[in-house]
Amino acid sequence: MNRSGEEVEATLQIAKLNVEDLRSTVQCLTFSETFTSGDYSLMELDDTLCKEIEAGRSLVIRGDKGDHAVLCSQNKTYDLKIADTSNLLLFIPAGKTADLLPADQLPLTIASCEIAGFSNHYWELRRCRPKLKKLKKLLLENPYEGPENEQNTSASLYTTEDLLNQIQASHEELMDHLKFLHACSIKGFWRLLDFDYEMKLLNHITQLMDSESWSFSRVSLKVCLQELRCLEPEEMIEHCLDCFGKRFSEEDEVFFALNEDKICKATAQMLLQNAVKFNLSEFQEVWQQSVPEGMTTRLDQLKGLALVDRTSRPETIFLLKTEDLPEDTQERFNTLFRMREKWTEADMSPYIQDLCAEKQTIGALLTKYARSSLQNGVKVFNSRRPLS
Amino acid sequence: MELQGEIEARNQEGLAGKVMGDLHYTKEGVPLLIIGHHILYGKVARLEKPFAVLVKSNSPSSENAMDTGDVTETKYSITALIKRKIIFKTRPKPIITNVPKKV
Repeated sequence: MNRSGEEVEATLQIAKLNVEDLRSTVQCLTFSETFTSGDYSLMELDDTLCKEIEAGRSLVIRGDKGDHAVLCSQNKTYDLKIADTSNLLLFIPAGKTADLLPADQLPLTIASCEIAGFSNHYWELRRCRPKLKKLKKLLLENPYEGPENEQNTSASLYTTEDLLNQIQASHEELMDHLKFLHACSIKGFWRLLDFDYEMKLLNHITQLMDSESWSFSRVSLKVCLQELRCLEPEEMIEHCLDCFGKRFSEEDEVFFALNEDKICKATAQMLLQNAVKFNLSEFQEVWQQSVPEGMTTRLDQLKGLALVDRTSRPETIFLLKTEDLPEDTQERFNTLFRMREKWTEADMSPYIQDLCAEKQTIGALLTKYARSSLQNGVKVFNSRRPLS
Repeated sequence: MELQGEIEARNQEGLAGKVMGDLHYTKEGVPLLIIGHHILYGKVARLEKPFAVLVKSNSPSSENAMDTGDVTETKYSITALIKRKIIFKTRPKPIITNVPKKV
């Protein structure tokens, strides 16, 4: 149904508008014959995502039935939220703005423009932390305890693809977290090493280091494999070296510089996990004796792994891992405040550090979720709301 | 194009195939929309955050890795990126055709 020039001019006349004041191209807007509102959805993008799409990459919406949907790019995760607007948003694919119109020339040119669809809501995206807690849970269904314990064929196994289908994180964030968890790809499936097994591997390496009188900053891969292959699979020994050290090459030979902090931390976890609490000074003594020759234990290596209680007599230390705390910010604070009524910033920081959004500081987070007061001249934080 | 309020067809006939109105530009480039007996003046705005237009299409997943039965993969095709809009946010001006003469 096209309007004629006369009709348009007649309308202008009734509207008391002067044709001379207007550009000579009129766009006559008509609803498409197949016009319905449900066919299209709008999604608001930021610049980064817009560029990703323009480069032809795709975005993935992830989540299980019970999850709140998230959208993932190659390396970032966004919360998806529907936003309603009281305005009507019309899609006019051929619509032109004034600068795109042809040069003016009378009589009026009528351009017919189709309105393809409309919407009064759109998807809003907000950058969020990837939801990774489930990853450890899935992988712990079937931890790897060594080649001799691999008889159970019905146990659950996950490929990268399987994990991406269940974990609300981008590919890059998932890979980073797998590395953080010391996960290992065995025959194409991601596995978490049973902690005792991991410590057994590490122990073989540090004992070899000791007997060969190597410095822990220069451990030969070749010799490790030669000496230890009769005890454990080569891939596992190399994996363990990768987890606890940094690989480098020297004259075509591969070496590892073992990370003192990581090894001290793993050793502490091994000691702490078997007791509810440990006498702090006794712990420090046993801990230092348990690490390889040449390594020095320091309490700050245990940030996010263990917490020291200075108020008890004697002072104690106990296992408390950040990754075992709730992922949700409010729930995280509730859990921490239920555990201890008042916290110093130094004690609390390792347990809330990962909650900070882009550019958000721990201070800002504390201001929002905690209340500060002075106790014997020390600034402490407690819950903003009463906890049940 | 963004309009305030709603567009309804007369007699609830649905909007498909109907003319909505005429979009003019003044010589100064101000968009002007005539809908029925309303005139609206608007402006062209660049979207701070562009919109992607998504069209939903369902296709059965080619590979069924999970043992949970039928897994369908929902895909949205991005058919357009909207970076500019014409927004009409002032009150429409009525066109008065029949002015009663003062006696």
